[in-house]
Amino acid sequence: MSPDEFQVVGIRHIAEQPDKLKKKWYQGRPIFSIGILVLIVAGCLGNRFIMTKDPTYMDLLHYSLAPDAEFLFGTDTMGRDIFSMIWYGGRISLLIGLLSAAISTVIAVLFGAVSGIAPQWLDTLLMRVTEILLSIPNLLLVILLQAILGKANVLTISFVIGVTGWTSIAKVVRTEVRQIRNSEYVIASRCMGGGFFHILWKHLTPNFVSSIMFMVVMNVRSAIVSESTLSFMGIGLPLEVISWGSMLSLSEKALLGGSWWMILIPGVFLVVTLLCMTNIGNYLRKSVNQKQSNL
Amino acid sequence: MKKNKVQYIGKKVLIFAISVFLLSLITFYISRMAPGDPLVSYYGDRVEKMSPQERERAEERLGLHKPVSVQYVQWLKQAVRGDFGISYKYKKDVLEVIGGRIGNTLVLGGIGFLLIFVLALLLGVLCAWYEDSLLDRMICKVGTVTSCIPEFWLSLLLLLIFAVELRWLPGSGAYTVGKSDDILDRIWHLILPVSIVVLNHLWYYAYMIRNKLLEEVRADYVLLARSKGMDKKQILFRHCLRNIIPSYLSIMAISVPHVLGGTYIIETVFSYPGIGTLSYESARYKDYNLLMVLCILSGVVVILCNMIAQAVNEQIDPRIRAAEIMEETEVTQL
Amino acid sequence: MSELLEVKHLSVGIDTVQGEVEAVRDVSFSLRAGEILAVVGESGCGKSIMCKSIMKLLPGNAKIKSGSICINGVDITSYKEKEMQKLRGNLFSMVFQDPMTSLNPTMTIGAQIAEAVLIHQPKLSKAEVKKRVLELMELVGIERAEERANLYPWNFSGGMRQRSVLAIALASDPDILIADEPTTSLDVTIQAQILDLLREIQKRLGTATILVSHDLGVVARCADRVAVMYAGKIIETGETQEVYYDPKHPYTWGLLRSLPALSRGKDRLYTLPGMPPSLIHPPKGDAFAYRNTYALAVDYEKEPPMFRVTDSHYVATWLLDERAANVRNQIAEAMGNVDAVGAQNGEMETKQLCRKRCIEKLESGGNFEVLEQAESEEGQNSETGQNAEILLDVQHLSHVFPLSKKHVIRAVDDVSFQIRRGEILGLVGESGSGKSTVARCIMNICRPYSGKIVYRGIDVCDRGQFRQNKKMLQTDRQLIFQDSGSSLNQRMKVKEIILEPLKVSHMKPMHGSYHEEALFQMKAVGLEEQCLNRYPSELSGGQRQRVAIARALITEPGLLVADEPIASLDVSIQAQIVNLFRHLQEEHGFSFLFIAHDLAMVEFLCDRVGVMYHGRLVELAPCGELYANPLHPYTKELLSAIPVPDPLKERARKTTEFGSDKYVRGGRMEEVLPGHYVEIDQ
Repeated sequence: MSPDEFQVVGIRHIAEQPDKLKKKWYQGRPIFSIGILVLIVAGCLGNRFIMTKDPTYMDLLHYSLAPDAEFLFGTDTMGRDIFSMIWYGGRISLLIGLLSAAISTVIAVLFGAVSGIAPQWLDTLLMRVTEILLSIPNLLLVILLQAILGKANVLTISFVIGVTGWTSIAKVVRTEVRQIRNSEYVIASRCMGGGFFHILWKHLTPNFVSSIMFMVVMNVRSAIVSESTLSFMGIGLPLEVISWGSMLSLSEKALLGGSWWMILIPGVFLVVTLLCMTNIGNYLRKSVNQKQSNL
Repeated sequence: MKKNKVQYIGKKVLIFAISVFLLSLITFYISRMAPGDPLVSYYGDRVEKMSPQERERAEERLGLHKPVSVQYVQWLKQAVRGDFGISYKYKKDVLEVIGGRIGNTLVLGGIGFLLIFVLALLLGVLCAWYEDSLLDRMICKVGTVTSCIPEFWLSLLLLLIFAVELRWLPGSGAYTVGKSDDILDRIWHLILPVSIVVLNHLWYYAYMIRNKLLEEVRADYVLLARSKGMDKKQILFRHCLRNIIPSYLSIMAISVPHVLGGTYIIETVFSYPGIGTLSYESARYKDYNLLMVLCILSGVVVILCNMIAQAVNEQIDPRIRAAEIMEETEVTQL
Repeated sequence: MSELLEVKHLSVGIDTVQGEVEAVRDVSFSLRAGEILAVVGESGCGKSIMCKSIMKLLPGNAKIKSGSICINGVDITSYKEKEMQKLRGNLFSMVFQDPMTSLNPTMTIGAQIAEAVLIHQPKLSKAEVKKRVLELMELVGIERAEERANLYPWNFSGGMRQRSVLAIALASDPDILIADEPTTSLDVTIQAQILDLLREIQKRLGTATILVSHDLGVVARCADRVAVMYAGKIIETGETQEVYYDPKHPYTWGLLRSLPALSRGKDRLYTLPGMPPSLIHPPKGDAFAYRNTYALAVDYEKEPPMFRVTDSHYVATWLLDERAANVRNQIAEAMGNVDAVGAQNGEMETKQLCRKRCIEKLESGGNFEVLEQAESEEGQNSETGQNAEILLDVQHLSHVFPLSKKHVIRAVDDVSFQIRRGEILGLVGESGSGKSTVARCIMNICRPYSGKIVYRGIDVCDRGQFRQNKKMLQTDRQLIFQDSGSSLNQRMKVKEIILEPLKVSHMKPMHGSYHEEALFQMKAVGLEEQCLNRYPSELSGGQRQRVAIARALITEPGLLVADEPIASLDVSIQAQIVNLFRHLQEEHGFSFLFIAHDLAMVEFLCDRVGVMYHGRLVELAPCGELYANPLHPYTKELLSAIPVPDPLKERARKTTEFGSDKYVRGGRMEEVLPGHYVEIDQ
């Protein structure tokens, strides 16, 4: 050891070592779900290249056939090729999901944001209104609204589902807005003269996006469920308009004939799509349990 | 103190009354706005053969010729006296029609609800106890999957397996024809519908309990409890579970209508003679009087449940009661 | 004396996404029966994790990597959870930092104490348990125990809650009590009471105590021995007097010197540069070298061993190596006469001398020198002080919060004061005294109930006048919040945050582009360039507060209002921020309303100080005058509550009892001496 080692040299700066993340980029992300969902969506969008038959053509010679080499997923009671119908109908199911989710999200965000920002009395009033709307059974509301709009088509049914499905989300939006509104950075921004739109754009929206994303995904999901349920019950899309829901509306006949493929195949596609969406939605939601358990 | 109680209850009753009134108003108008011929449900196919005069007379007889607002006032006047009119389809007093069916729905919904309530608590605690273990992850995965299955399709699936393929369980109705008094037979018929109600909702509540418990387990007081020397079981049950029970109760109260709403669809799939099928029919075929009562009935359930939930929260949870006590005794910070 | 607890070569690792944090690194210490051992260090140095590892209360991702923990000679390191449960409460128990969250909110205090009693004595009858609960509550100084046992935690104030937690911890007469920052989240006046209580309990029950704190001043009052921790290691340990009067490690010097009490009479606080290192990749050699002005070359290469100073005093620094350059004299110069004598030798006589001088020094708060000094300062500052224009004039400000229709809380009650151009006014008071509300009224966040606030001749409470001068008011007054964590938007980058006020008010950056302006402001508040593109959550508390300061100063405000800007920081960081404020004020010349909850730091910053109590302003005087000649009894109490890092003096000091409504309500402010206003009871 040299004596120099014991000389005062004072503070030396060290380069900060970047912390390496132990996790790979894909860990904890729903890669699998995204992959499957992309496959299904791509299949539906590009159905032209996949479909082996004309999905609307009723082949009266081959009705209620079990899956075989020609009809990959079999045929329904009206002789339509289920394999082609899946891709063709999926497009409509997804479209309805997106449309009505867009409608309900817009209403919910507007309503919730207004309620969250509004003075106390208006907020109470708006919340009471939602409660009363919530207390009308959803199914009945849908039936009545659908009747007012006339015969169901893709647009009207999206509208009905969208208009009836926003209340619970509006409540979530409201609490979120209230929370952010009372946070100190918003107060700080107000102090320095930030206007309403500045705060909305710079503070509310970014903090809001992650929770909104979750809600949008969940809305798409529940809209698809609603559409299929309504079509199944005969209130939604008619048989001629092919969607996963209307395909399933034949299932009572299928039950009698024991034709499992008519029930199982569209259903599996439906459920897998929903499952992928749930997984993605759950991922988008802020991860809550990052803290370690105390127990 | 007593005066406050009276005021409190009075306020709640008032809110309740106003909500029910508004609800009836909205449904009355919406249902009449919808096109469709209420005469069809009264006269059936005969309507098509009626001459315009006959139609007019028929409409007058049912009070359908007046403006909607007048009809509503009339309906309201009668309703206050307890007369809700007759069902066009069944040509019987509405209450009588509903009375014959409501029991079935209550049994289905009630048993389903109780099972959900108990099982969710058990599963939730189990998952929280074995957090991040294989069991926990399995239950969560299975739960996610079942929660994604629309109830009608689950019904179809179970019907296909148990009623059509295996022929173990009956696929429709509430009882075998001619055996309406046989309790065993009724239970037999309930198995499939109840299990669908339970399967469909169970996960959501179990998962909620799990998450609430896990949040609670991360609170600082758990560390203090551990440093006292309490074991995991004592802390989980005496502290954590106890703290989430009020919110669980209130959430379950809010979800009563949700679960009941689910039974509507299941009833139609199983052709189960309950209120669900009844309201479905009444809405489709414009059986106005029946529709009104059904809407108000379910609305009342919803509003009542919301109120119960609120009351549970306010009365059981001392954290929320704190706000009230603050009012009564100024500031009690010692 | 027997060793009750002996920790040998303990290492604890925490597994995180970024990698393993070596929170505790090869720590050895012992605790004797009936003594109080203080563990001191900045936050992030592993004190808390070390305590939790003794009781095996570590979070799931942390584990003891090596070392042993022996209690009464029995090694408990490998004990399973079941065995530990029997020991917890019985043998050792713990008091946590935040009494607000460590009690179960849905159970009564009595029930929670009873539970602790029953765990280790399950056979007690109901009456016996109740008796024991009341006994415990009285032991920790909760009066009217019987009726208070049935109350819920939210009925209690912070101090009372901490007492309840203490009662729970003492329920089964543990041999060891571990108190993890028990006073950090409490008001200064309550802080002293809790410390006294700890001392008293230790005397009465003979409980050995480990007291964790980040503040050497707090610990002086009751510790028998002190261990200083830095970066997961114990770097100095010794008898309290040895550590305070003869510290050997430069980190201990730094900690001591950054305490406001030691800088009294000087115009600037000493600060420790930088902050503790990340423990994911602990730096090579002596972890403190990177903040140490006296670092030796060898510090960057090799870890120092523990050098023995006396039989009880051990220090890990190369400075004690015989080959080391003799830096003692340099330190003596730098540290001034307070520590210089202490740093010489361990001889008793010099120690005594040092003590005397310390005491003299500290008492000088009450003698004429300082008074004169203050007066002369006053004279120097006259251009910014007495004759300058009045910038802000608060007249008879009152604000009420309605609790219900009948009851209101008078949060602010007839408060009047003025701030002149370039003046720094301190506003001091404990939590709930209405000082934040005053700040919020001034910033137009709250509308005052009555009274007037005039800023540059504009009545800001008048809507018309406010609207006319809106832009000026919004850019000319800026606010800094207490908790920089919540006052910075987590989803904006630091650069955006700093530039927000400019962009909102469409002002042109003074130093070229926006980017250059941001860089300039960052430099001004002492932040490094690479922070610009980070998010607030990636910064430490002190750094975040600097960002908040930069944001407030970018519009070149005439008035800066800071609402407890240092309350949530470590003492060493507090000193850094106070110095920064002072520096910036000298440079920019803004008027400054500085709100704090204790008087310790205010002295180094403010020209005048106002003391608030229960919504009223009870005393307002020039800084030197107030410290030299406090007139209102509450001010005197606040002054006496400032902890002094001198064990002997600290122990001799009496604390006065604080009642919540001790001073009669009402009264009038009267000018007793020139510029010194006091509330006189009527």
